[in-house]
Amino acid sequence: MTMLTVYKQLLRLYPAAYREQFGEEMLSVFLDLSADNAKKKPFTRTVFAFREIAGLVRGAVGERLRIVPGRESEFSISTRSFTMRNGFRFPKTTAVLMTIILAGVVVAIKRGEEIAASLPHSNPQIGPIQPVHSTLLPPIVLLSVTFYAAGFIGWAILFALRRSGVHRLETSGDSK
Amino acid sequence: MSEPVLFILLGLAGQPQHGYSILKDVERMSDGRVVLSTGTLYGALRRLLDDDWIERFEEEETSRGRQAYRLTPAGRCNLQAEIDRMKRLTRLATLRVAAKER
Repeated sequence: MTMLTVYKQLLRLYPAAYREQFGEEMLSVFLDLSADNAKKKPFTRTVFAFREIAGLVRGAVGERLRIVPGRESEFSISTRSFTMRNGFRFPKTTAVLMTIILAGVVVAIKRGEEIAASLPHSNPQIGPIQPVHSTLLPPIVLLSVTFYAAGFIGWAILFALRRSGVHRLETSGDSK
Repeated sequence: MSEPVLFILLGLAGQPQHGYSILKDVERMSDGRVVLSTGTLYGALRRLLDDDWIERFEEEETSRGRQAYRLTPAGRCNLQAEIDRMKRLTRLATLRVAAKER
């Protein structure tokens, strides 16, 4: 598999609109760069290949995250400067998913209790079968409440930071 | 503003350029310290286009009809503001360091 094939495959990771706008141009620039590097040492060519692959993967992930609905901030990874994000929102989907999972666990435990109660207890020496899961319910609820509280406290801290120094720094300059 | 973005804008401040020449110009300006990949370059160009700091046009002089980029008035204004900010910072840093050395 040639580097050109790899490059074309990785380009497919980008959203279609992005590929439409920049795909051909990126490929053209990559071909020019490849021609430049063709006569260089194997080590230089390897570094070039890795840089291109990493750049494409990182760029594609960034573009995919950028078009996620409800996201305000740009996805940005910079190794050369501290890049601040332009906003923070508590992920509502996380809270919704946690609630759904918790509801599912509670329903499953209740269902298990009903099944256990409906079973005939033919062996009196053993006694009635007790639902073991019922003992798990309080810790699960406690754990969920703890996670909610931790999430809320984390969000509050980040919100407070945004309202104070970091937010002012972000809005005062022309930082992008 | 990150260093690569600053170099890209500086590259376009002199004259319009297409992707390949921007990459080479950034490498030259930074003495080989900043070498951008195509993915990084076009990610930055996309953001600058979205913010109307640069604009895209088709080069007429070349046979390939390549897309080129140039600064918009807003982009030039923002670049100048960034340069002014860096000048102030450099001046302050120089004064502080000099005062400490005395």
